[in-house]
Amino acid sequence: MKKIIPVLVVSVLVLGTTLLWMTNPGFSMPVAEIVQFVVIIVIVGFAVYLAINRFRSVRRGEPAEDELSKKILQKASSFSYYASLYLWIVMIFVNDRTKMDSEVLIGTGILGMAVIWVGFVIFFKVRGVKNE
Amino acid sequence: MNNRIKELRARYDLTQEELAKRVGVRRETIVFLEKGKYNPSLKLAYDISRILQSRIEEVFIFV
Repeated sequence: MKKIIPVLVVSVLVLGTTLLWMTNPGFSMPVAEIVQFVVIIVIVGFAVYLAINRFRSVRRGEPAEDELSKKILQKASSFSYYASLYLWIVMIFVNDRTKMDSEVLIGTGILGMAVIWVGFVIFFKVRGVKNE
Repeated sequence: MNNRIKELRARYDLTQEELAKRVGVRRETIVFLEKGKYNPSLKLAYDISRILQSRIEEVFIFV
């Protein structure tokens, strides 16, 4: 339970901050920001899904996490770190060609890193983790 | 590595959930083990073998 609550708190904070941003008087919704908003919702939704799964395990009398869940997170995190390095190289390349606003560049990079991590977690949950 | 967890679990009339609780892991871990998607740690392999009243090499088959 102790590890579920921080995930839910952070998810609520991210959603709350996003809503505050959207209710800003000067706020308009260009396509790029709609895409960012959707990606944020997907990432927060995935975090909430993981937290609910852990909560259900605890309700069944199982541990919130075990060696498999820790291994999946470790592998996903290490693989997504390496992929994120390449992501930032691509972002620098795109920025050289398009001269993106620095806020847009950093925000897109951070969201990209989160999406990569979610992708790897799903990949290892489907494929499994073998220590060979 | 293959295993006979499902076969031995059926012999002792244990559900995946019951086995998971007895060895202290989530049901998802037992599912992954039975499907061959995960190789357990030595401790988990030992605990599962003990619950299934078999030796490790009778439960987990190294090929």
